[in-house]
Amino acid sequence: MAIANVKVEGLQKSFWDESRGEVRAVDGIDFDCQPGEVFGLLGANGAGKTTTLRMLATILKPTGGSASLNGYDVLADPEAVRRSLGFYSASTALYPRLTGRETLEFFARINGYPANQVNQRVEELIDRFGIREYAGARVGKLSSGMRQKISIARTIVHDPPILIFDEPTVGLDVMAALEMQNVIHELRDEGKVIIFSTHIMSEAEKLCDRIGIIHQGRILALGTLEEHRQATGKHYLEDVFVHEVMQAEDQSAKAMASPGEPRTSL
Amino acid sequence: MNWSDIWVLYRRELRSAFRDRTIVMNGILVPVFMYPIMMWVMMTGLMFVLGQMERESSRLVILDPPSEHSALVDTLGAQTNLEIQEDVLSEDSAMVLLRAGDLDALVEFLPPTDEGSALEDNFQVLIRYDRAVGRSSQASARVESTIADYRSEWLSQQASALGIPETEHEQFQIVQDNVSTEEDIGTLLMGMMIPMFLVLMIAMGCLMPAIDSTAGERERSTWETLMTVSASRLSVVTSKYFYVATLGILAGVLNVVAMFASMGVIMGPLLMDLGESANAFQFSLPFLALPVMIVAAIALALFFAAAMMILAAFARTFKDGQAMVGPVFLLAMMPILMGQQTDQTLTPLTAAIPVANAAMMIRDAINGVFLWPLIAETLAVLLAMVTACLLIARVLLKTEDFILLSPDGRFSKFSKIFKSSSRSRLGRNSSEGLK
Repeated sequence: MAIANVKVEGLQKSFWDESRGEVRAVDGIDFDCQPGEVFGLLGANGAGKTTTLRMLATILKPTGGSASLNGYDVLADPEAVRRSLGFYSASTALYPRLTGRETLEFFARINGYPANQVNQRVEELIDRFGIREYAGARVGKLSSGMRQKISIARTIVHDPPILIFDEPTVGLDVMAALEMQNVIHELRDEGKVIIFSTHIMSEAEKLCDRIGIIHQGRILALGTLEEHRQATGKHYLEDVFVHEVMQAEDQSAKAMASPGEPRTSL
Repeated sequence: MNWSDIWVLYRRELRSAFRDRTIVMNGILVPVFMYPIMMWVMMTGLMFVLGQMERESSRLVILDPPSEHSALVDTLGAQTNLEIQEDVLSEDSAMVLLRAGDLDALVEFLPPTDEGSALEDNFQVLIRYDRAVGRSSQASARVESTIADYRSEWLSQQASALGIPETEHEQFQIVQDNVSTEEDIGTLLMGMMIPMFLVLMIAMGCLMPAIDSTAGERERSTWETLMTVSASRLSVVTSKYFYVATLGILAGVLNVVAMFASMGVIMGPLLMDLGESANAFQFSLPFLALPVMIVAAIALALFFAAAMMILAAFARTFKDGQAMVGPVFLLAMMPILMGQQTDQTLTPLTAAIPVANAAMMIRDAINGVFLWPLIAETLAVLLAMVTACLLIARVLLKTEDFILLSPDGRFSKFSKIFKSSSRSRLGRNSSEGLK
């Protein structure tokens, strides 16, 4: 059995809201991921996907539970966690006044890639993503498709064992989204641990080896697509998702009457 | 904190900055070219205004001129820059015109005072004018000068009629002798200008980078990217701080160099036009002044960088950042007020006023005055301010809401959230903060 590169246990995040008081955005999440696996977090907007991934990326501090990436605890050793991690989301933009090549060099160096191998690594990625033609142009002057390629290259330039993609296809056209999916497949084949969040069912179906359905900060069900089908008797992921969410809503309503109802698990 | 990371981040900041038109304009071009252009504009403007004022005639009304002194009225009337309006015959109508700006001065001849009435042909002159109007003030000065000349001549004639030689009646003559050299004048001018512009240029040099490296990161959505690099938060902020301070110092140094290089060339010919000698502007700097100026510039840059970054870091956009950093820039204007008192040196009290103390320290150094204990006090005050800013930054960096900008750039909201989350030891909903 492969060593878990990502281990999440009882992870919690509560926020203070002026009007609502304490809000539990993530409420005791458990999962782990193996090398060469794409783990998907599937949930509606506001379900807690981004908050969970931000805790894994050490942007946010958990208020409960624990998470370790590549053996490093997110609270105890956040810098080592970030060194082991590539984080990509719609809100991780690039510096517009740097060229593509300078961008890759910068992120390789700052993430601790061996200094004497940086140039070689950058050239390798420039070829891999086919960006040589515009690698010397400033990022701000490139099209969104070109920027996306550089952005993906930026995420993996320091060759991290773990990659987090937070709704990576949001705002992309069909071709760009397909290209992103292909890259994720390639990275999985290279043995990376990939955590992927989305609210697009077809994307999760296509990409993820295992899927965690997240709703109101809790993982309602976790398993392979086949396991989800068997557990729910539904074929399409969309139906599986709706089934799990509806069941959770029912349980929640019942829990109002009798607190302490256990959660669903596969 | 990892110095290798700081160096990588610092280089990235500088590289981006030197490709930004606004930063290059404010941090390099303005400091370098501001003096020559500004001096030329100022001096040309001054000469133009003086020329205009000289050419402009003053409109006067003279009421009740004494018949014994008709020569005085003739003298006033003969002057080309005085225009006597003879159609106004009453004080009331003249006052109406004066208040409306249609008249520059009303000259009223009055009977002498009781003490003065013993003297033959004596009189008083009342010059009414509007001090708030330059042209009216000039008219008053012209009339006063003409009457003073007339009185002097009249006294000479009276003395002569009484058989008193002119040399005897003109006792207690006042003769002025300006012992300052052209170099002293140059030092005085530079002592007034360098501190003022050095402070302003350092503040201007820090302004855009401070906003760009904080609010700018958020606006471009590169803040979250930066938060995911393996460098520590402290390294990220330290690199930004050094970058902002570097551009502040750069702007200040370039400005002083440009001033030294251009002042003689620009000021010399312009002063010649104003009737001064060709060497009217000379300047040399005391040996110790340069290191003192450099130390003051570094301390100022460190202070401005820290203060501006803290304020700008609350902003969500570049525009918000500009509005937030505005007060610090206004603070930099203080030395302009302090600089008006050219003969005032640093005192224990003024050395405790941030920014103004550094400006006065620089001016003292240019004037060859080195008050070392007060220089030490000045630096201690500025470094204490920097330390205070860095301590605030440290607290802010530990606050998730600040990192994620949940309060939308509003101090009041931030303070509320900060209090609430400190009480409950919780963060606030982050998903709305990161854009």
